[in-house]
Amino acid sequence: MGRQLSIFVENKPGKVNRITGILEKSGINMKAMTIADSGTFGIIKLITDNNKKAFDVLKKDNLLVSYQEVVVVEIPDRVGAFHRIARILEDGKINMEDAYGFIMEEGKRAALILKVADPGKVEKILKKKRYKIIEDF
Amino acid sequence: MFFDEKRERIPEDELQQLHLELLNRTLVACNNSPYYRKKFRELGLKPGIKTLEDIKEFPFTTKDDLRESYPIGMVATSLDNIVRMHASSGTTGKSTLVFHTMKDVENWAGLVARGLYAVGVRKTDVFQNMMSYGLFTGGLGLHYGAEKLGALVLPVGSGNTQKQIEFLLDLKATVLHITPSYLLYLGHVIEEEKIPLSRFSFRIAIVGAEPHSESTRRKLEKMFRMKVFNCYGLSEMNGPGVAFECLHQSGLHLWEDHYFGEIINPDTGEVMPDGKEGELVLTTLQREGMPMIRYRTKDITKFIAGRCPCGRTHRRMVRIKGRTDDMFIVKGVNIFPSQIETVLMEIPEVDKNYRIILDRKEGLDILTVEIEIKKKYFKGELQQLRTVQEKITDMLKDVILVTPVVELIEPGSLPPSTGKAQRVIDKRRI
Repeated sequence: MGRQLSIFVENKPGKVNRITGILEKSGINMKAMTIADSGTFGIIKLITDNNKKAFDVLKKDNLLVSYQEVVVVEIPDRVGAFHRIARILEDGKINMEDAYGFIMEEGKRAALILKVADPGKVEKILKKKRYKIIEDF
Repeated sequence: MFFDEKRERIPEDELQQLHLELLNRTLVACNNSPYYRKKFRELGLKPGIKTLEDIKEFPFTTKDDLRESYPIGMVATSLDNIVRMHASSGTTGKSTLVFHTMKDVENWAGLVARGLYAVGVRKTDVFQNMMSYGLFTGGLGLHYGAEKLGALVLPVGSGNTQKQIEFLLDLKATVLHITPSYLLYLGHVIEEEKIPLSRFSFRIAIVGAEPHSESTRRKLEKMFRMKVFNCYGLSEMNGPGVAFECLHQSGLHLWEDHYFGEIINPDTGEVMPDGKEGELVLTTLQREGMPMIRYRTKDITKFIAGRCPCGRTHRRMVRIKGRTDDMFIVKGVNIFPSQIETVLMEIPEVDKNYRIILDRKEGLDILTVEIEIKKKYFKGELQQLRTVQEKITDMLKDVILVTPVVELIEPGSLPPSTGKAQRVIDKRRI
């Protein structure tokens, strides 16, 4: 099972800087990130090369941080790759709550991060379709 | 010049005699309420005094006592005789209730009418009452007083600014009763909509329910080109009309045939001479439903020595300078930080640290409550936080009657809760 970090941030200048600073100091490489905001506050979702360590150092710095189980699936870096995943999820009547991704190898491999209600079930479906599920980086 | 000249200009010596007589009557009346009867018995006090000095032997009454006697422990007559109840916020939980007989309601209206007359309101006036009606005393209190004076009363209540402006224009209201902050806001709206002041007929505004400064009064007078007068009251002592300015705008006359006023040192309880600043303590002198002795208003003021040029003999007090407790007023509503704290502590997701920020935007009060989410409740979802935010907003609104802005902030961004943390930050300037 893949995991992402969810961090509460106030919508104010310097708040993201604080998080990236902590990660840099701890030698953690960010793989992907997305921000959802709700006016005065928001949530940063983050995948790093060492989620466990990132969780610990952020928590230690008094941030509101939680782990969330997500599906991280490797897809080819080419036209229509995400579409294929979306169609598989539609066939399975699975709702995508959130999705983002990043390139792992230009023109070859990308990672897609999916937030779904039942990540275990989605992993099983994708594995059946011969997709590679990434547990950790 | 006077609504009731005989009483308003009662010679000082006669007033003292009247005080002695009415204080004795009040003590006897108090003894009919379960609360005071028990209290007097416990303290071994007989309900009577020989000189005015003797009143100092009697205990103060506080908001806590009102809570202790909730709901009707301080009522001194049969409930059959009660015709009206009002309420104000308690420091925690239950509201403070006050009960009035028909005579009390009439007396109250008389005091308000007296005050209105003193600032120039007459029966020919159209009186637009822009204060809330209901449990709050502001609306009904002035309503009855203005009616008693014979003015045409428009009971519009607070808010609904477009409707207010419509009535002001169409019915040519000449006198307004309004909170200073709402009057400021009204001024901004009139300015924004570019309605010339010449189309309005207002000439007098009675402002109350919120502490405000002399400079705010001057600003409002300039903004509207009308006279603005200060009116003081508190629900425990009826409501507005306890003290009223006169045309001289040099202090508020405490209606001393209905209230016995003392200024005390809030720390020691010692009574201070006129001219010294302290906490105002009031005793009702003619109230039947719920007579109260030596009620600690928590309002800081002082009596002004010497007689007012208007000829009224009732002592004047300066406008309220502050509070001895942490109560604050938002949109005319009294709020204690403890009310907010009690609600927050009931919500498991909320950490013990919080902060209340009072600000004003376009003349309207904004109450913001900043809270931290407890770490173990954070699930990492925006929706969860929004739900918590809405829940807190609703729960607070139910208790403080004002809709707050609830802001979630990062843990550790507030000063630590140990010691005397600054919980309330008032950025308003009025």
